[in-house]
Amino acid sequence: MSQGAIHDLGYQRYTGARRDAGTRWRVIMRHQIAMAWKTWWRFKAWVGMAMLIAFIAGAVMYIMSNRMFHGMGRMGDAVLLIRDVALPQSIAWFCRAAFICSLTLNATIIAGDVQSGAFTFYFARSTRPRDYVIGKLAGLGVLMAILTLVGPLLLAGLRLGLCESLSDVIDHLVLLPKAALVGALATCAYAAVPLGFSALADSRRTALALWAAYYLVGGTIAIMIGGISHTGWIAALDLPSAVEGVAGKLFDVPVLGGRLTHVTLTQGIVSLAVQIVVAIAIVASSVGKAQKSGVGGAT
Amino acid sequence: MTLIALKGLAKRFGPIVALSEVDAAIDGKIIGLLGPNGAGKSTLLKCLLGLVPFEGTAEVLGIPAATRGADIRDRVGYMPEQEAFLAGMSAVELCTYAGELSGLPRTEAMQRAHASLYYAGLEEKRYQPIDGYSTGMKQRVKLAQALVHDPELLFLDEPTNGLDPRSREEMLELIVDLPVRRGCAIVLSTHLLPDVERVCDHAVIMHKGRVRFVGSIDELRGARGRLGELIVEVKAEPEKLSAALSAAGATCRQTTPVQLEVDLPASATNKLVFQAARDVGVQVRGIEVRRESLEAAFLRVIEAA
Repeated sequence: MSQGAIHDLGYQRYTGARRDAGTRWRVIMRHQIAMAWKTWWRFKAWVGMAMLIAFIAGAVMYIMSNRMFHGMGRMGDAVLLIRDVALPQSIAWFCRAAFICSLTLNATIIAGDVQSGAFTFYFARSTRPRDYVIGKLAGLGVLMAILTLVGPLLLAGLRLGLCESLSDVIDHLVLLPKAALVGALATCAYAAVPLGFSALADSRRTALALWAAYYLVGGTIAIMIGGISHTGWIAALDLPSAVEGVAGKLFDVPVLGGRLTHVTLTQGIVSLAVQIVVAIAIVASSVGKAQKSGVGGAT
Repeated sequence: MTLIALKGLAKRFGPIVALSEVDAAIDGKIIGLLGPNGAGKSTLLKCLLGLVPFEGTAEVLGIPAATRGADIRDRVGYMPEQEAFLAGMSAVELCTYAGELSGLPRTEAMQRAHASLYYAGLEEKRYQPIDGYSTGMKQRVKLAQALVHDPELLFLDEPTNGLDPRSREEMLELIVDLPVRRGCAIVLSTHLLPDVERVCDHAVIMHKGRVRFVGSIDELRGARGRLGELIVEVKAEPEKLSAALSAAGATCRQTTPVQLEVDLPASATNKLVFQAARDVGVQVRGIEVRRESLEAAFLRVIEAA
């Protein structure tokens, strides 16, 4: 580029209105969703996994609703039970999909932004720390809802569709809010807690390792100690146990694998709420510090 | 309206005084912000953008930084020294996102992202992921993302860092062009005094948390010059003029085959030069007050502090 050859497409000063600062979180949320959707292994693959789980659970429910099974005497009761437990049992699998997704998506977000200098990019503008936190949480919430909320709601809808009479439909109508509650809790937990871990380290790998260790090793230890001491509060520290505990109690189904034995509805909800609040507090604190240190280099 | 007005600005980080009683009214089209490491330049930038609390008052474009930092950041562009990108994005996507985060509607942000990147010289490469860009291209993206929301004031932090001579020259051309074509003022924070000399019309020198000089580059360099310290350019035979001036009590030093540095006696004026030249038959082609180099002026201000 030589003198006089500066490129210009015809500059005009912007005179239009600027959007209110309170809408920045929506921009960040939309960007979060778009970036997650961009590559196959970050999110799309786990949507496929969740769809497969919903399909298998739905197929089980449908097949077990067949009249052929009902006519098989005592086995008829068993297949009817399977038809009703397919939904709550599928929750554990949706949680597994959400965990895998958290490894490829939200467990590294803030550490990644620290590494790439993204906070300077955000906070040299009118973006506030709360816009960033709310935007990221909302974006991850939408993504996690696709994995942990949509599937249970579809299965609850399918179960209603398999009802044989209007009174049966009315009896099962409560499945919808129950599925929504469990799905929403799982969504919040799997969106916020890994994000909190991503704010604990400045390196993506470290953040990922911390989250995986907390979920897999810490969770297993909590289950073991909770099981041995018959203390639901300790077992509820394990994220999937807490979600499944809530699901088990809400849907009133026997639990497989013994994971839910000691976790009550209250313990499950309180544990999830505490973990979510702590995670958000960590994220908010970390982002607040990043705002002050990002622009113009660290002070 | 003064571009940046500071009154009693002070900032402490625990026991460390980062800025102390800074008073300044900063104006100009391209202002060089100079100072050694730890002088307080970064802290001043943070205060001006309203990112950290401080004592005293600071106004940018007439907006108080202490209470309306977000409004300032909507009207100011910032090009950071370090990389500040988001992984996996192309330059167009990044600049569009930057525009939206500054309050522009999406369509407008996208149009301006293309225009800014084209202006910064990225052309078709703007569709490629930033991760694969060279240092020069990354600097251009940083400039484009600072321009996309149409700022009235630009903070450029070491914009020529790591650039090869050609890219550096191109970046400096853009910096000179910006106030002309886009009407935005620029604060250029840099350690490279030749860059300041090349593009800036004003300078702010900071040292140990205080502003030591605010004014035009001419004032900075000429502040020490006096009418009796001259550079005299002649057509030929400077030694003849040198001898004549020395005889009249001046001190002369030949710097090039046609140039002399002359220190006149205390009471003499430049008329003495013309008189001596006429006496020895030497043609004077130019005469100007001798000024310090920017580097010497900078060091003088720092050492005086």
